Amino acid sequence: MSGLARRLASALAASASRLLPRAASGWSGAMERELAEIPDDPSALRFAAGCLRAAAGLAIAAWLSAAARALAFPFLPSSWSFPAMTRLADRPRLLGLACGAAAVALGLAYMVAAGAPSRYLLVNLGALVLGASAWLALGRWSTSSLPAAGPAVVALAVPLLLTALFGVAVEGASRWVSVGPLSVQVSLIVVPVMLVLYSRRPDAVGTAGILVAALALALQPDRAMAGALLAGLLALAAATRRGLALLAVAASALAFGWTWLAPDRLTAAAFVDRILYSAFDVHPLAGLAVLLGAAAMLVPAAAALSKRPGDRAALLAFAACWSAAIAAAALGNYPTPLVGYGGSAVLGYLLSVSLLPGRPGEAARRGASATAEAGAAGAERPMSELRAAPLG
Amino acid sequence: MVRKRALSDPARALLAALAAAGREWSYGYELASLTGIRSGTLYPLLIRLEAQGYLDAEWQQPAAAGRPPRHAYRLTAAGRRLALAEAAGPDPAAARGWSAGGAAS
Repeated sequence: MSGLARRLASALAASASRLLPRAASGWSGAMERELAEIPDDPSALRFAAGCLRAAAGLAIAAWLSAAARALAFPFLPSSWSFPAMTRLADRPRLLGLACGAAAVALGLAYMVAAGAPSRYLLVNLGALVLGASAWLALGRWSTSSLPAAGPAVVALAVPLLLTALFGVAVEGASRWVSVGPLSVQVSLIVVPVMLVLYSRRPDAVGTAGILVAALALALQPDRAMAGALLAGLLALAAATRRGLALLAVAASALAFGWTWLAPDRLTAAAFVDRILYSAFDVHPLAGLAVLLGAAAMLVPAAAALSKRPGDRAALLAFAACWSAAIAAAALGNYPTPLVGYGGSAVLGYLLSVSLLPGRPGEAARRGASATAEAGAAGAERPMSELRAAPLG
Repeated sequence: MVRKRALSDPARALLAALAAAGREWSYGYELASLTGIRSGTLYPLLIRLEAQGYLDAEWQQPAAAGRPPRHAYRLTAAGRRLALAEAAGPDPAAARGWSAGGAAS
């Protein structure tokens, strides 16, 4: 067992060396050789796993840098290289906007290849513009300690409940409201936003809002978003271990269970559902675009998780929510977010991204915010202890 | 426009540990043990410090036979100035151009 752990550690460290982007290639081997100095196998394994995570993060940042320069922002100065992109990984709001736009662009490419009506493309583009505007407008609010997060969660739960009671019903599911010629799926917009808000300030008022949301999703019923709510809350509870979060988990688990009692009879809609598979029938590149777009949605949280411990709860809840939404789209007839037709998910994604923590240092400045306290539980050593060390 | 940034806790901890070592060379696992920063956070920080001229890094021959060479680190003069400024209190101007790295991964 001991030899196996050491071999696994060596393999992980070797993989980390291979993954490092060219700009950091001088560091290849640095992590691998250090393993020899670690006396016990479990520590070596943890060290190697961390190295692999670091290398993967750096590789993703370098890849995004190259992709952004080559495709989306050909006017970017060449100084936007490796260090600039690793800094971008520290800024999940900004990275989220870029990844959201990239996912929508990849989805548009798929829809063009698949012959979708141009109206579909315009709807997704319009939602992207609207979401980007909200991203700009919410910038200042998202950097605060969000004192109104709880009431905002409650306020967002209201339209969810109203949709369940008075929304447009199709095949026994009442998930939509009509806005002019468009059908808007309210849960795809508000659930991710509620989760990010609640994870940044999981107080009693917000918990009440989450309970209402769980009830609404059970009533609609919306199995996919009930699952997304549950996934996000589980991630939050794991990160904070707060009693209120556990209560919210219990309520959402009940709601999710309830949605399984009635069969979901909705059939797959073209360009909306099942496209994670059907896109490959259009063209392998169309399928690849859909997969890459779906993966891009998770990059902001994945890239920032190791760099923003104070914001761990919000990042985990965000990632879990959207992972569950993508998984639901893979498993059933539920909308494929961002890459499929539908502006609701585009809006929901960009709004939830808008409320993610902004620039580094803001969490520290927020000081007394509940999430910062939760994140501090994971801090490994107080700075005061290190500050006291003599500087050479 | 040059943006002023605050250093993250792990970045400051790493700077403090490297500054405490003075002109002595430090090593990856040693720094991780000393500061409590996990490897997933440590190496991106070290790479960034070196890229921005705050850190010297070199391969050193092993002290004992049969061991592999080690990658060693120490602050440059600019790095020592940055560490001193941070120890005196957060000074965004001193951290100009340096992004706050993350913490434990």
